Amino acid sequence: MLSRVAENLYWMARYLERTEDMARLINATALLLLDLPPGVQFGWDILLQVAGVSELYREHYGPPEETRIMRFLIADERNPSAVLSCIRQARENSRTFRDLLPAEFWERINALFLFGRDHASASAANRHDRYGFLNELIARRHALVGLLVGSMSQDTACQFVKLGNNVDRADMTTRIVDVTTAAILPQHDSLREAGGESLWVGVLRAMGAFEMYRRHVSVQVRSNQVVNFLLKNGKFPRTVKHCLGEMEVALALLPNSGAPLDMVRRARKRLDALRFDDLSPGLLHEGLDQAQKDLGTIHHAIHHEYFDPFASNRHAGFSAEPRPNPQLEGRHVSAPFPQSFRETSP
Amino acid sequence: MSLLSESYGRQSAYDELIDAQQQPRPAAKALFAHLLRLDPSALAARRQSAEAAILAMGITFTVYTEAGNIDRAWPFDIIPRILSRREWEQIEAGLKQRLRALNLFIDDLYNAQRIINDGVFPCEVLEGSHHFRPACVGIHPPFGVWAHICGSDLVRDQDGTVYVLEDNLRVPSGVSYMLENRQIMKRLFPELFQGCRILPVDDYTSRLYDTLAALSPRTGERPVVVVLTPGIYNSAYFEHSYLAQQMGSYLAEGADLFVGQDDIVYLKTITGPERVDVIYRRIDYEYLDPEVCNPKSVLGVPGLITAWRKGTVAIANAPGAGVADDKVVYAFVPEIIRYYLGEAPILPNVPTYLCMRAADLDYVLAHLDELVVKPANESGGYGMLIGPRATPEERARFAELIRADPRNYIAQPTLALSTAPTLVGDHLEPRHLDLRPFILQSDQLHVTTGGLTRVAMQPGSLVVNSSQGGGSKDTWIVDLEEAPCSLA
Repeated sequence: MLSRVAENLYWMARYLERTEDMARLINATALLLLDLPPGVQFGWDILLQVAGVSELYREHYGPPEETRIMRFLIADERNPSAVLSCIRQARENSRTFRDLLPAEFWERINALFLFGRDHASASAANRHDRYGFLNELIARRHALVGLLVGSMSQDTACQFVKLGNNVDRADMTTRIVDVTTAAILPQHDSLREAGGESLWVGVLRAMGAFEMYRRHVSVQVRSNQVVNFLLKNGKFPRTVKHCLGEMEVALALLPNSGAPLDMVRRARKRLDALRFDDLSPGLLHEGLDQAQKDLGTIHHAIHHEYFDPFASNRHAGFSAEPRPNPQLEGRHVSAPFPQSFRETSP
Repeated sequence: MSLLSESYGRQSAYDELIDAQQQPRPAAKALFAHLLRLDPSALAARRQSAEAAILAMGITFTVYTEAGNIDRAWPFDIIPRILSRREWEQIEAGLKQRLRALNLFIDDLYNAQRIINDGVFPCEVLEGSHHFRPACVGIHPPFGVWAHICGSDLVRDQDGTVYVLEDNLRVPSGVSYMLENRQIMKRLFPELFQGCRILPVDDYTSRLYDTLAALSPRTGERPVVVVLTPGIYNSAYFEHSYLAQQMGSYLAEGADLFVGQDDIVYLKTITGPERVDVIYRRIDYEYLDPEVCNPKSVLGVPGLITAWRKGTVAIANAPGAGVADDKVVYAFVPEIIRYYLGEAPILPNVPTYLCMRAADLDYVLAHLDELVVKPANESGGYGMLIGPRATPEERARFAELIRADPRNYIAQPTLALSTAPTLVGDHLEPRHLDLRPFILQSDQLHVTTGGLTRVAMQPGSLVVNSSQGGGSKDTWIVDLEEAPCSLA
């Protein structure tokens, strides 16, 4: 398989995952804000922080305000993490491998993009339309996933899709945990419990994890338990641990996967060693920081091994060193990987 | 026949399916017998299913606009264009003869230049050529073949004569539409395919693969064949991916390939470098290799031309093949055929005046109102003057252009392109069309069965280009001799 094709498959999967995650997050936040006790200092800008685009938002729109934030996160393509940008990127990436996926896939992803393009702006403006629009996006994304599960061979292409899904999903989970804890901890003691519980219920709902949390952990929603669940539960598909496990399975089926596999295993060991009995802000922050760094390392290991193996002298024993082509420097098929997940906390 | 519009009685152009008495020609009899038996609404219904099939099969060409790129479905007319096998065999022989001669000519130009030394082809034409590539001088590609894939445009005049209008020897496109059109027609009119001897077209991709594989510099292994595309924003990207898929070969962009210090071309794959044997390039020469051609090109592969010159990789069409894709060279093709093959040309050229010749120049300038004037090195109908439709000012401006650079202009009489019945609403109207067959040559010669029929969808229009509102039709070569058509 061509390196570029593998890279496009991987990024297509990442963007589709991000589309769904952003849609879920926005919907859950909208519901949550209705329930917060008065006095809790937290608002729509938490979404900007999760997406890592607060700075960019300020450049274009100034102070945080619901409708503007929604437009920015859903329909504004100047924001590379906007839902519409993600769908467009996913579609553009999938143009280049139409022969590898079931024919229907292209038609569906094209239809998903057209739907998003036609409705994003209008539905960003009011809560009611927005909820329906984002739910429809999620449903259509599920149809794409279902199509792949039902009719794509479990071959090399499939492993790159799986890698992309799980890298972005784990990325989103660590961001959500990080931003949520950062939002809860500075609150006054009296509000921390009540506000914290609502916030975590909202988070669990956003990830479709509320029922599973109750089954696997507890009826009570406590910060340390939720954090522990979202990072370390091995059964629920959106936990960091589960995502790392899926990456391991996918990599094991790919050739020359030694280096990225090492990175995944190292990340899992570090994750296993984390303890959340006492949710001290410093420790948690450190742990999440490390988890995010590890995901970055895994991505780079995959990139280096499969997408751009000729950038270094790894094939030094091989007589074919590529000639330099300055025209190609800095030219990438995919949008840049968000290097830093967290913005400096105020 | 009630299906035909009134304009069928009045037109002067030759019609491919209908004779002067408004009766179907022999090869089209079965089709019309069938159409007349259909309910009037059935035709519209079949057209709708054709449109649905085109959408579902994702047959598109890409139009790049400021608002982003759009995949647009290409208009398809469900009434086929039909030729008899007997006539087609003549055309096929003529096309093969032409490409053989053109390849001998290109090989000669880059080597001994006998045809110039013998005074058959003027040296000054070569000197004025835009597509002669000094980097190709002295190269002997496999089988002496430079143009492996040729798309020649054929037109039929009022009196029924088929002429070659031009030979596209650089990167001709359109063959995927020919193949897909047939798939659609088989879905729409299965009963006709059962009853008539309509010759199949679908062996093209395996013939293309054989043609390319025969060029491989390595023997004894299954060659690695790559289709080299400029990428998703190219209008023919659909065709590139289609052909790669059908041949089971890689579809690569320039950045997916690199040339090693061993001057061998490699693909970047997830398991490391993989040696490439044959490149079917769908990129113009100018962009192939920034080391030799346009240094700003990001589409190409640095070192590709060097690798090709050393013979470690085959490129189809070979760099430099475009030298014969020049309208002045075109005028010499009958001479070229006689010179290299010692045969009389089977297919005629459209009579062509070369403005570089003093007598021709005088004639052209005196008859601008009757002639079509074309620049020698443009394609896609750019920079043309259609004399009868031009204003006196436009003709005066063109006269200046021609006088300033006579080598770069040719002129031809205005042809009345033939027509074929085309579905408009619930009846058939005549629309002008041409035909682009594709000819393959490496160790063997092969011609597509028929080709791509392009049709101008506007009444009276002669513009068949996909980018300018043209459409296409399926092209049937029907065997009347072996099994006469009869639909029970």
